[in-house]
This record gives sequence, C-alpha cells and structure tokens, in this order.
Amino acid sequence: MITIKGLSASMQGAKLLNGVDLELKPGRILGVIGPSGNGKTTLLMCLCGLLPFQDGSITVGGKTLRAADSATRSELLWEFRQKSGIVFQHLHLFPHLTVLGNIVEAPVHVNRVPKAEAERQAIALLSKLGIEQHRDKYPEELSGGEQQRVAILRALAMNPEVLLLDEPTSALDPIRSGDVRRLLQEFASTGHTVVIVSHSVRFLKGIADQLAFMGKSEMVEMNSTSELLENPRDERTREFLRHSELN
Amino acid sequence: MAGPALRWGADPSGGAPYVFTDPANPQSYTGFDYEFAEALAHEMGMKARFVATDWESIVASLQRKEFDVIIDGFEPTEDRAREVLFSKPYYLFRLQLTVRKNDQRINSLEDCKKLGIPVGTLVNCASSRLLDEGGYKSVGYQDPVGAYQDLELGRIDAVVMDVAGEMFYARKNPKLRAAGAPFHTGAYVVGIRKGDAELQKKINVAIDSLSNNGTTEKIFRKWELWNNEQLSLRTEKPAEYKVTKSSFNWSEGLIKLSKAALVTVLIAFGAMLIAVVLGIPLALGQSNGGAALRTLCTIYIEFFRGTPVLVQLLFLYFGLPVIGITLPGWLTAVVGLGLNYAAYESQVYRTAFEAVPARQWQVAYSLGMRPAQAFRRIIFPQAFRIALPPMTNDFVSLFKDTSTAFAIAVWELATAYRELANATQSYLGIGLVVCVYYLAMSLPLAHYAHKLEQRLQRKSTGILSSGSDK
Repeated sequence: MITIKGLSASMQGAKLLNGVDLELKPGRILGVIGPSGNGKTTLLMCLCGLLPFQDGSITVGGKTLRAADSATRSELLWEFRQKSGIVFQHLHLFPHLTVLGNIVEAPVHVNRVPKAEAERQAIALLSKLGIEQHRDKYPEELSGGEQQRVAILRALAMNPEVLLLDEPTSALDPIRSGDVRRLLQEFASTGHTVVIVSHSVRFLKGIADQLAFMGKSEMVEMNSTSELLENPRDERTREFLRHSELN
Repeated sequence: MAGPALRWGADPSGGAPYVFTDPANPQSYTGFDYEFAEALAHEMGMKARFVATDWESIVASLQRKEFDVIIDGFEPTEDRAREVLFSKPYYLFRLQLTVRKNDQRINSLEDCKKLGIPVGTLVNCASSRLLDEGGYKSVGYQDPVGAYQDLELGRIDAVVMDVAGEMFYARKNPKLRAAGAPFHTGAYVVGIRKGDAELQKKINVAIDSLSNNGTTEKIFRKWELWNNEQLSLRTEKPAEYKVTKSSFNWSEGLIKLSKAALVTVLIAFGAMLIAVVLGIPLALGQSNGGAALRTLCTIYIEFFRGTPVLVQLLFLYFGLPVIGITLPGWLTAVVGLGLNYAAYESQVYRTAFEAVPARQWQVAYSLGMRPAQAFRRIIFPQAFRIALPPMTNDFVSLFKDTSTAFAIAVWELATAYRELANATQSYLGIGLVVCVYYLAMSLPLAHYAHKLEQRLQRKSTGILSSGSDK
C-alpha cells in the first residue's frame, strides 16, 4: 500500500517532482513510464527514503514520511526505509561478500536473525530462482542476469512491504523469465506492492498490471496497463506511446 | 711565515671547548684544540688549515685524505691503533661523572651499575669504550649538549664525559653536580694516517718543544684546563697514560644489533598503529567535517607532509620540553613518526573511501542499516581493499624512516650501525649485517601484505574460483 500526496522535490534549484499524487493498493505491480529525465528515478528514491523532498508526504505500509522528516536522521526515517527495498539499475551488489553473504547481510546484522536461519531462508529463495549453486561465488563471477536475481533477493530478504526496481531492462531477459516473474507476482499476491520504473513500454507491458505515465516532473495519468495503452487520455501520453516501440 | 699547509680535521658542532664556532666572531673558530693546532703548525713551519668534519666518522675521513691529521681531543684506543698512527700525547685528561643535583643515589659508576642506570656519553670516544668494557649500560650521544640536556630533563640519570667537556657544559649548570672525583687518566694525541711516519716524527718533535717551552701550558691555562699532571709530559721519558682497550666481539655485536633491530620494529609498529588510527578521523574530518574542522585537518596534513620528518622529530624532542612535555627518545620517535604518517594515511583513506560508489551507502541504508553499521560492514571492507597496497608501501617507508631516530639518540638499527661501524672501522662487514637485518624485517612484511592483497583481490574479482561451478 502506497499513498503519495503532493510530493515535490528539487535539487540545486531544479524541480524534479512537482506535486505528485499516487495511490497504489497492495497486490499490484505498477510500471512507471515516461521519457528519461522526467523524475522517475527521483520518485523511487523518495519512495524508499533515500532522497529528501521539500513538500508533501509518502505513506508506505502504514508509515508516513513528511517532507520535514525526510531530511533528518530520525528514527522514523530508518523505520520508513525498511518498508521498501530497492534494486538499482546497476544493482550495486556488495563486491566483498558472496552471493549468500549479500542476501543474509541485512537480516543478520539489522534484524538480528540467527545466521543459520537467515541462510536457510536465503538458500530457499536462491533455489526458487535456480541459482543456489552460485551461493558461494562473488558478484563479479556472475552474469548480469544472475546478479539481478541476487539483488532482488537481497531486497526481498528484509521482507519489505514494497519492492522498487529502477530500469531493470539492462538485464531484461531474467526479469521477464518465468521464475523471476513468478517470484514478483507471488510477492505481490501476498499483499505487497511492486513498482518498476522503465522507459521501455514494451518491457513493462509484459509484467505490470498498472501503468503510470510521468510527464515533466509530474504524474500525468495512471490506469490499468491495457486501458492506458489502448485509451491514453492525455495528449502527452499519446505522444510518448506513439514514439515507443510496443511490439 | 706561511709554509705548506697542515690540514687538520675536527668536529666543530657541539665541539666546545675543543673546537667550536667563536661566539664573538661566528665567521671563525676557537677552542683549545684550535689554538693548539695553530701553535703546532707554526712550530713545524707550516700553516694550519682547519677542515670541519663529523666526529663519528673522523677516522674514515682521515683515511679518505680529507685532511692530514686529527686534532680533536682524540684519544689513543686499540681499535684506532689499527687504523692510524698516534703522536705523543699533548694533554692528559680525566673523566668526570655528572648527575642531577637532587639525585643522591649516584656517586660513582659502580652505583650506576648496581642500580642498573644507563650512563650517557659521547659515541666513539674513550669513555664510551670504557663503559662498554666495564659492562656498564650506556647511551651514546652525538654531542655533549644533547647528553647534558637529557640529564637535566631526566631522560637519563648520569653522564660521563672528559673533564674538558664537563667543565664547559655541566659545571656551571646549577641543576647538575659532579658525582665523585675525576678518574681514569687518558691522553689527547694527534691522529696521523698510517704510512705518514715522517709526519708523525715531525709532529712529535713539535709537541715536545711546545710542552717544554710552555706554549701548551699557556693555551690550556687560558681554557682553565691546566693542572700539574700535565707537567709529566715535559720529561723526555714517555708519559704514563692508559690506552683504552677495545676489540669488536662479533657475538656481542650481533646481540647489540638484534636489540637495535627490535627497537626499530617496535618504533615502526607503534608509529604505524598511531598513523592508521589517527588517519581515520583526519580523513573523515577533511572530507565530511564542517568548514573549521576541514581547515584544521588540512593544515595538519599539509604541515606534516610539507616539513621533513627529521625536523619534526628534533622539534618534538628538543622543543616540547620547553613547554614542560618531556618524552623519552623512543616514545618521541613513535609519536613523531606516527603523527607524520597519519597525514599520509589520511590521504590514502580519503582516496579509498571516495573510490567506493555512493550507491553502496544507499543500498546499505535501504536495507535498514545505520551510518555506523553501513560504514563498518559495507564501506570499510571495500575501502580497505583499495587502501591496502598504498598502506603497505607506507609501512615499508616507515620502516626505513625509523632511521631518522638516530638524531634523537634512539638506539635503533641505523644508530647501531653508525656506532659499531665507527668503533670498529668495519663499515662494510657490519653494513652488510645491518642490511640483512633490515631485509629480514621488511621482506616478510611485504610478502605477507602481498598475500593478503591477493586473497582480498580474489574475493572480489573471482580470479581463482571460476572452476567451482557444478
């Protein structure tokens, strides 16, 4: 469950987000589309509490972060950050830890889960994606697709309410492949939410059940995937879709 | 009359009252040996030409023909007899033990031995050899000033020195007192290169006539060093004085070198510990601090990187006592080198931390980590990997820089080399042994660091384990 009200963020005088509103029910996979540089990544960074914003509020899983709290190192901010997990475009796995180490790092050292228990859960997740044989390898020994799976599992291991994926098309195949998609859908179906940001409509079409279009710094429209693609209401959406490869 | 030149060598730094810069006329020198050399050359129909040299290596400089004779309170010793010819003595000296005025424990060298107190003295002279021979603990100094200053500051508890030096540097100091009477009669002679027997003969004739015609007496009376004992030099019979014994015992020498090597290791590790720890706040302050803190850290770093470490050590050793902080030499070396290298380590850390992508922090935060935890578990291990090779380099340099501690009378390996080599004239043999010691310390270090680097490198790049895919 995500609620965004009047979210405005700027950096060094440049307006990145201007009064964005959004409401997303649990169990949904939302795709956010729009041209590059329109604030999609900024929206994700605000959603997981990594970027201070100047106005509005964000509620994730019952925790509300207001603009004033977003810039301070408050207890609230730490709690808010744990409500969502993020997978960056370039993944940023911890290079000094093994696959297993990457996944159990936060559960063991933040949530104080016993190491054996955390590893058992991590191995179960790894085998769900068919990469448990790589558990003792280091990130650089993996292919891009394998690294992406590990990054998703690292975020999921903290059991967040929301999973955020930024431009996952760099490792496009795995995210569309059956097991990763099933994992995300299973995650959503248990009352969680997934938000995927991408400039590729073709990619999101296959996985998102809702789509939102972002114009310059603002949320233009949001609808079910099929509705938005077939009957875009705003001229800017139509313009963007015309220039996107859909098939 | 100006005949051929008699080039004579002496060390004028801290050389009073033998040869030293004339305070009334800093362009020229003065001292009883200066006046004696002038008189000697005059007597021989020659012109005295003074060559300033370094006391510790004075015999080696004579051999290199930088000058023709040594006139610098030079005592006949067995080891020197192998290298140089001695003239007849022109002055008989005694040794004097000095302690602090309020120290009632010590009244003789025997007291020092009983109490296990090391005795400060000049390196490479009769008193140092006497102490070694008698089995007393000793601390070698380059000049009397340093020795008496350390005595006054309490870094050492006793100093033994020729009466001439003692008179000039210690007798007027109200904080010091002479312990017991002067002892051990030795002689000052002129040192001449082996093979210059002709010159030796001429000098002996000149010394005899200077003694007999009262010129010598006039000079030493002027310096308040005359006593009736000197009259024995006037007779035709050879005067009685003791030749200080000295022979280099290799097994003892190796023990001394081993001890010095241990000091070197302790200084290096102690200083590195300070540098590694202090470098962290410096790096953090410089990259994350407020404007004031940033400026302070930058000043610190640029100061220590921009001035020679030798000057910093001298400053700490001689400067700090002025404001009431007196550290022993070894601790000064540890602290001084530690402060110096902290400046370098801070730059290594800063570069290493900047090389870790900012996204690594963000990922750690998104997983719920606090800054301290993210730093410790995620950022530090990655930065450490980047910092390790330059840190290893610095540590090896630090090992070598411990040799600067010789300037503040710390008995580390380089000091030991200078002293033992000067005492035995075996620069080559002992030098090779010292190099072996340095290598025995630095090679394992470099090897271990290299292994560690490789291990960490494998971890992150997977060079090794590519075959483990089942």
